[in-house]
Amino acid sequence: MNSADFYFNVSKDYPDFSIAVELALNQGEFFSLLGPSGCGKTTFLRLIAGLERATESKIIVQRQDVTNLSPANRRIGMVFQDYALFPHLNVIENIKYGLKNQKLTAGAIKAKTEELLALFELEHLAVRDIHQLSGGEKQRVALARALAPEPLLLLLDEPFSALDYGLRNRLRNELQMYQRKLGFTCIFVTHQQEEALIVSDRLGVMQQGALIQSGTPFEIYEKPVNRFIAEFVGEANLLNGNIVANDKDNNHLMLEIPELKLEVPLFGCNYSFGQYRILIRPEEIMVNYQESREGTIGIQAKITKLEYLGYMMRMELEVNRVKLKAATFNQDYSQFKIGAEIRIGLNLANPKFIK
Amino acid sequence: MNDINFVSRGANLGKIFNSIKKKIGLYSIALTLYLPLIVFFGKLLTDCDLLVKLWTFLSSKLFINTLSFSVKEALLSACLSLLLAFPGAYFFGNFDFPGKRLLRSIMILPFMMPGILIVLGLVIFYGNNGFFNQFLASVSNNQLKFAGLYGFWGIILAHSLYNFPFCIRVLSESWERINPNLKEAAAMLGSSKLNTWRRVTLPLLMPTLSYLFFLVFTYSFLSFTIVLVFGGYLYKTFEVLIYIEYNNKLQFEQAAIIILLQTIILAVILLLQSFIGKRVQYQSKLVGQLAALNWQTTRLQTVTFISYGLFLILFFVSPFLAIIYKSFFQTEILSIANYRNLFTTAFSFSVGQPFLIVLRDSILLGGFASLIVVCIAYYVARSRRHEPWGGVDLLFQLPIGISFMAFAIGLASIFGELLNYRLLIVWAHVFLAFPLVYSILRTARRELNESIIENAILLGSTPGQVFRRVELPLMRRPLSTAFAYGMAISLGDLAAVLVFGKGQLVTLSVAVYRLIGHYRFAQATALGSLLIFISLLLFLSVENSSIFIGSREDR
Repeated sequence: MNSADFYFNVSKDYPDFSIAVELALNQGEFFSLLGPSGCGKTTFLRLIAGLERATESKIIVQRQDVTNLSPANRRIGMVFQDYALFPHLNVIENIKYGLKNQKLTAGAIKAKTEELLALFELEHLAVRDIHQLSGGEKQRVALARALAPEPLLLLLDEPFSALDYGLRNRLRNELQMYQRKLGFTCIFVTHQQEEALIVSDRLGVMQQGALIQSGTPFEIYEKPVNRFIAEFVGEANLLNGNIVANDKDNNHLMLEIPELKLEVPLFGCNYSFGQYRILIRPEEIMVNYQESREGTIGIQAKITKLEYLGYMMRMELEVNRVKLKAATFNQDYSQFKIGAEIRIGLNLANPKFIK
Repeated sequence: MNDINFVSRGANLGKIFNSIKKKIGLYSIALTLYLPLIVFFGKLLTDCDLLVKLWTFLSSKLFINTLSFSVKEALLSACLSLLLAFPGAYFFGNFDFPGKRLLRSIMILPFMMPGILIVLGLVIFYGNNGFFNQFLASVSNNQLKFAGLYGFWGIILAHSLYNFPFCIRVLSESWERINPNLKEAAAMLGSSKLNTWRRVTLPLLMPTLSYLFFLVFTYSFLSFTIVLVFGGYLYKTFEVLIYIEYNNKLQFEQAAIIILLQTIILAVILLLQSFIGKRVQYQSKLVGQLAALNWQTTRLQTVTFISYGLFLILFFVSPFLAIIYKSFFQTEILSIANYRNLFTTAFSFSVGQPFLIVLRDSILLGGFASLIVVCIAYYVARSRRHEPWGGVDLLFQLPIGISFMAFAIGLASIFGELLNYRLLIVWAHVFLAFPLVYSILRTARRELNESIIENAILLGSTPGQVFRRVELPLMRRPLSTAFAYGMAISLGDLAAVLVFGKGQLVTLSVAVYRLIGHYRFAQATALGSLLIFISLLLFLSVENSSIFIGSREDR
């Protein structure tokens, strides 16, 4: 039995799919669940909420076992992808909905509703019909409605998926602000890796019904446990390498990268002989590398593709017929031409190995 | 620069001119459609003694009795139709089961059948010597008998039979379109199932329920054929009263006063409807995966559904089956004699025309009237393809809420002497069919992707070629659906043919009506079966159409 404030161990078998996830959360934690479409993120949320019947499950919410309780009694709130606001009720009636179910006094309902309207800056929209609201306003109402009954855990199922880029960023910041202010624990489902990296205290990556890795955004990005996560969270260059004995210096090891015809001495002692996959992030490739740094190897590369993004230049390079992705910032981008040769630097002093 | 201004000013003037031309065209059609009513009410309202005559009728017992009966029967018919439809709508709206699509299609069948067939079916099944009474007699040793068909309850039964399948169809579609996340959101906010039903599902169904209630109420309030046959001397709607005053008693003035009064009452009903049905109807684009109705997982619901289905078949489908069954029996011997008898002089004597002439006239009249209404309605729909649903569309929907008798009498009083009776009937059928035909074509034409047309123009087609090679093939299905409905309405009409035909023109519906009047039920069943067959053919031609009432069969 896990001692965390929130603990979920659920599994469900479908004819062509199965899901089995174990996850523990701490009070006030913002946990994001990341994964490609169809990997089971939403199903996992629905199993926690009790909206789907699990094959096997254990649901602990703030140290209380709610496994056998109905969704109405689990004290879990949810914001749906389409918000699921009641179209026949106006803003204030939507927010009051859950409070009325708690059989509070009229005064208590009024006070709580007013507090939420003020908190989410919805006072001027209180009596407005749902269909008259903008996407951002709807999201605030959905959040206020879900938080009104004071749930112990809030589930957010891709609440920004239908919104444009600008609004999405604004609402993401607002959500983070409310979460910090109110301190609720939440699981935020998204398939946008950037979003997950920005808002989360911790995040988990799912693939085919299983939680492959969970950790801080830094851990997920910097130390992905496998190729899938390396390529799903951020962009990745993956090269095959072998760790062998350094012929010149028998006390040290050497990393061979046959694809690039490179041999790099390794100075750390935490390595063992064998084949490895090396992860190099595009931003780790030094474009127009001139100087000489310890542990960094300079090689010639040909530019095969350029993508100008304003604040950065993304490029595709070719070294010995191996394609590499690179990203460069703060340079005179006009100097780069497709077909031109440039010198790049690879820092392989502390290589990232993955399975 | 000046040239550009000149060109753009010229283009603007052209646009304004076109828009005026289009508006004149549309209003001319509306004016032609409503001309008989306009002239009729114009004449009536300039009558100096109008108020006195109105007051005299208002204070008469006849008015009180007719109003009280009409309101009572319309209220009960609407309630019973919804009550019968509710379980069906629940199953259709919440579950998937084999044959659902076909069953849902079949629900438009009563709409395609002439009202007189409902009457005939009920007489054959629930009448004094009908199957139902034979069954009651056999199980109760002649103690039990259902004698209420020719009277108040018979009228309610017939109205409900006619309307409840339509109610199932509309209500179930509305139910299906309730966003499935709403129920889950309610559960997450602490609602019990009952609470969710009361606070979420029911309020979301209310706009459809109130729409259907008023629709069935108005239909029953304006009912003619069913009340004419089952009502006898005791029960009359205003429509029947107007017909009797105008056609039988030749009291034009009295008929006109009743028409005016009925129009005022209808206006009040429509106002009430618009007031109550004001709430916006929300329908989700998100359609949830419905649970499968089967023996393993939803046993209780499956048993209830089967029982409900059997109940409907027993009480509401059997009357139609009884017509076909009875048509093949003559004095309890299986034969086709009833069909052979359609060609006898006895038939011509009862009906007024030989069978083949009746068949020919019905099909020609239906085809011609339907062709005209489809052409006009398509022209209007095409002219308004860029416009959202608005006031002009409402103007073309008005015949639903207007007394047909008012129109018919108005038409007879203006053009009765000038035009051939066949043309008058066609005009009347165009008026009758216009709202439904227009709404089918209006929806379909608006949904047609305009880029396809623009693309054809860019590929070098002339407007004529675009219409012939692109627009017409794309609109073939809604056009044929609209044509089938127009034909069904024409075939089912009794009032216009009775008012204008004056015995010279007899359609299949009128022939069945006359055979029932002459107690020639055997021949009536044969003719009725033939009408069922034609209705089935029309139904098959519109089956699978997703246009009618916004069905989403093709999901």
